[in-house]
Amino acid sequence: MENVYIPFSSRILEIKQHTDIDYTFKMEYRGEVKPGQFFEVSIPKYGEAPISVCEIGDGYVALTIRRVGVVTNEIHNMKVGDRLFMRGPYGNGFDIDIYKGKEIIVAAGGTGLAPVKGIVDYFASHPEEAKSFNVLMGFKSPKDILFRESIENWSKTIQTTLTVDRADEGYTGNTGLITNYVKTVEIENADEAQVIVVGPPIMMKFTVQEFINRGIKEENIWVSYERKMCCGVGKCGHCKIDDTYICLDGPVFNFTQAKHLVD
Amino acid sequence: MLDINTKQLKKNAFRITKERGKTAVRIRVPGGNMHVKFFSVIQEIAEKYGNGTVHITTRQGFEIPGIDMKNMPDINKMLQPIIDGLEINQEAPGCGYPASGTRNISACVGNAYCPYGNYNTGELAKKIEKAVFPHDRHVKIAVTGCPNDCIKARMQDFGIIGMTEPQYDPYRCVGCQACVKNCKKRATGALKFENFKVVRDHSKCIGCGECVIKCPTGAWTRSEEKYYKLVIMGRTGKKNPRIAQDFIKWADEESVIKIILNTYEYIEEYIDKEAYQGKEHIGYIVDRTGYQEFKKWALKDVNLGPKAEVAQTINW
Amino acid sequence: MGFRMDVERFDELLTELQKNYRIYAPVLLKGKGRYSETDTIRYAEINSIKDVVFDKKSVFSPKEVILPITQTLFYFTEDNVIEPKVDEKNILIFLRSCDIHAVKRLDEIYLRNRFADSYYAALRTKVKFVLMECEKSFENCFCVSMGSNRTDEYDLFVRLEDGKVYVESKNETFDGLFKDEENAEVSPKFVLENETVVKIPENLDQRVFKSKMWDEYDERCIACGRCNFVCGTCACFTMQDIFYKDNPNAGERRRVWASCMVDGFTDMAGGHSFRKKYGERMRFKVMHKVYDFNKRFGYHMCVGCGRCDDICPEYISFANAVNKLNDAMKEVE
Ligand SMILES: Cc1cc2nc3c(=O)[nH]c(=O)nc-3n(C[C@H](O)[C@H](O)[C@H](O)COP(=O)(O)OP(=O)(O)OC[C@H]3O[C@@H](n4cnc5c(N)ncnc54)[C@H](O)[C@@H]3O)c2cc1C
Ligand code: SF4
Ligand code: SF4
Ligand code: SF4
Ligand code: SF4
Ligand code: SF4
Ligand code: FES
Repeated sequence: MENVYIPFSSRILEIKQHTDIDYTFKMEYRGEVKPGQFFEVSIPKYGEAPISVCEIGDGYVALTIRRVGVVTNEIHNMKVGDRLFMRGPYGNGFDIDIYKGKEIIVAAGGTGLAPVKGIVDYFASHPEEAKSFNVLMGFKSPKDILFRESIENWSKTIQTTLTVDRADEGYTGNTGLITNYVKTVEIENADEAQVIVVGPPIMMKFTVQEFINRGIKEENIWVSYERKMCCGVGKCGHCKIDDTYICLDGPVFNFTQAKHLVD
Repeated sequence: MLDINTKQLKKNAFRITKERGKTAVRIRVPGGNMHVKFFSVIQEIAEKYGNGTVHITTRQGFEIPGIDMKNMPDINKMLQPIIDGLEINQEAPGCGYPASGTRNISACVGNAYCPYGNYNTGELAKKIEKAVFPHDRHVKIAVTGCPNDCIKARMQDFGIIGMTEPQYDPYRCVGCQACVKNCKKRATGALKFENFKVVRDHSKCIGCGECVIKCPTGAWTRSEEKYYKLVIMGRTGKKNPRIAQDFIKWADEESVIKIILNTYEYIEEYIDKEAYQGKEHIGYIVDRTGYQEFKKWALKDVNLGPKAEVAQTINW
Repeated sequence: MGFRMDVERFDELLTELQKNYRIYAPVLLKGKGRYSETDTIRYAEINSIKDVVFDKKSVFSPKEVILPITQTLFYFTEDNVIEPKVDEKNILIFLRSCDIHAVKRLDEIYLRNRFADSYYAALRTKVKFVLMECEKSFENCFCVSMGSNRTDEYDLFVRLEDGKVYVESKNETFDGLFKDEENAEVSPKFVLENETVVKIPENLDQRVFKSKMWDEYDERCIACGRCNFVCGTCACFTMQDIFYKDNPNAGERRRVWASCMVDGFTDMAGGHSFRKKYGERMRFKVMHKVYDFNKRFGYHMCVGCGRCDDICPEYISFANAVNKLNDAMKEVE
């Protein structure tokens, strides 16, 4: 029987620093993987951490990792050529086919941009496959902005709105909570538009509510959940909410289902 | 006409009271636990010879006041079933208690039903009583089940505090840290969480057994051996009241009893022969001779176990 | 097939079995209870049927035999990952009907639920069950309410009565072993009623989250997790990576039992956690046992062994909490 806990080792191909605490690691990887799925990334003797794939490319996946504790600290000490252990990919991920040909709005808060970046990447390079594509991104402050280069590239083919909660005087970009931009974002056909919301729990709650206020149907809203995970394979029980294992049945949920996920 | 030898009277566990001609009798209950059938004896004495009341003493005895001194022989006869029932050493039946200097050995409820109790305090109290009583020297001994010290063993000449040496099975430990947090909050912070398992600092551990009680998986259990902490020379009183200090940690029962017995020899050697009424409280003797001399006498021929730790010096 | 033999003979056969099996049963551990001079009953290997405690319920369930409390997943060396060797011997477990039902729940999670867990499977496939009969219901048992009072999924049934051992074999693996023993009619008796009766409301659903019934547990529960650790059906674990102090280049990844009642179960980076209130944790546990496991797998998780009620230091009755759901549903409807 296959041992699902045994990780494979993967070489770090490239490291990109976005902020003091957010780095993207391009990892050697060949195999099926979808945006929104995650890997259990580990450094032996330190532990494992579930990390979403944020970019999928030929022979690699990119992982954007925020330094918050034991494992992520240690990962941030690694250099190009070093190896990380990984297992996965786990979870359902986003099903791109659902969104094709539709009006699509993505609202991402902070590191929540990582799990949806794959989708944005896809439609930014295939803009003709969506009726329209608008990505709203909120960060705490200008220094927390992730993926600046990508955002610049995206803006050439799709609509992007970048805002920060607060900024020093002189900042020329947008400021204010992402929900304010949801209020004014252009929605052509609220009945059919597809919306993806990912971010911290509070941000998701209010952003989804705002979209519902704008007339978006619940069944057209998609969210991605983050919970404590130990196994990623439906065994350890940490991620379970009601009868749903976030690691198996999620982390991406349609809002009609997500609204029943009461911890 | 009353012609009473008050020294004899006091030795016989009666006392001189405020009211001339009236006495009170003290009943010792080693370990503070006895069958309720003896209540009827106490009741009968109090109703027939006393004033109908009984005082419950701090040392866990009963004191029946309001007794005419002339009735002492009758009282002693009536006490016989209690003295027999509690297996008190006696010189001649029907003559009451042969001494009162060494006080009743008091005890908290111990492991009879207290969850914190680390041993059977009642049994140990009786064992010590058997070993030391009767004796005229004024020595106070109390035994308590755990460092909560509900019996106030630290107010005694000898306080015996129950200890267990917690045994850790890392396999059963799930790392909930209930033991670590609790030891820090309620005991001494002897536990540390390291590399996902618990490490106990034996030098800080007071053997209270809280960790055993708190552990949800039974990773901590009690040692087969029971250990005792012997604290000494605490006292109340007019001169220099103070709390007893740690003498020996992780001692065994046999050694504890032997040390107490040795102490009587030390008292005979060093008691102030000029002292008022020939009485000198052991604590003051130790103050005079110094701890080292006491220690030498107390530990004579005592075979302490390998775990025992004897205090180098004590500063009360 | 049934057999009868005396204790000495049975023990001889047990020794014979030990060549291929490790034999686990509930045993009395003297002085190993929580309090001074108290004993406890837990699972351990036995060498004689006389070691088996038949007349009392074990404090911990037999699950620890197949789901060890601490289990090494693999060892790390400089750049290698090495799985620990699995003991070659098979496993015999003496256990009761409810416990056999409980193992089925563990199987559901560990062998199915999308992925199979190879560590669990490695032990589980070695296991054969020796049924122990419950002469009468123990305190707090409600197996009848949960339908786990009877089973025919055992390999052997063993009864010790008046110095004789009665054995029923339902697995031909053991036919050879007992073939020379005296034949006898042997079949287990099952408990048909318990003093504790539990009724799960038929209309139970998430609306009950809003009931006030959970509030009292905020105060009463101390979040110690005993109720989960003794439970034969609680399956949760946490992973730990450790390094060896004497060789920091080597270490291991292991898992240990976890409890949804204990702090830390939902802790995420950044200090966020869910179900901070103990009443919410109680709700989560109760609902897992008698609602959402059923929703996912089609039968209830709880088997009614009553161990959670036996162990709770705060005298919280899980069974009573389940019964309270009936009024709670009326409250929220
Ligand atoms: C599906 C999913 C996708 C994620 N994707 C990303 C991502 O793309 N980028 C990113 O930076 N982070 C992501 N996270 C969060 C990331 O897993 C945690 O930040 C990481 O586990 C922290 O590990 P640590 O060892 O550095 O911190 P620790 O020192 O272990 O822990 C710090 C805190 O994090 C908690 N924690 C430990 N393990 C987990 C865990 N497995 N899940 C959640 N919290 C945990 C601890 O309980 C503690 O409170 C994701 C989490 C999930 C569940
Ligand atoms: S016995 Fe008491 S002092 Fe010692 S480790 Fe346990 S809780 Fe701490
Ligand atoms: S209480 Fe028990 S299980 Fe929890 S950390 Fe301490 S020893 Fe381990
Ligand atoms: S219900 Fe009882 S056993 Fe369970 S966590 Fe609460 S106090 Fe502990
Ligand atoms: S929840 Fe309680 S009664 Fe039910 S299986 Fe678990 S321990 Fe037994
Ligand atoms: S009740 Fe809690 S500990 Fe038990 S299986 Fe469910 S989630 Fe896990
Ligand atoms: S992460 Fe272990 S069950 Fe989901």
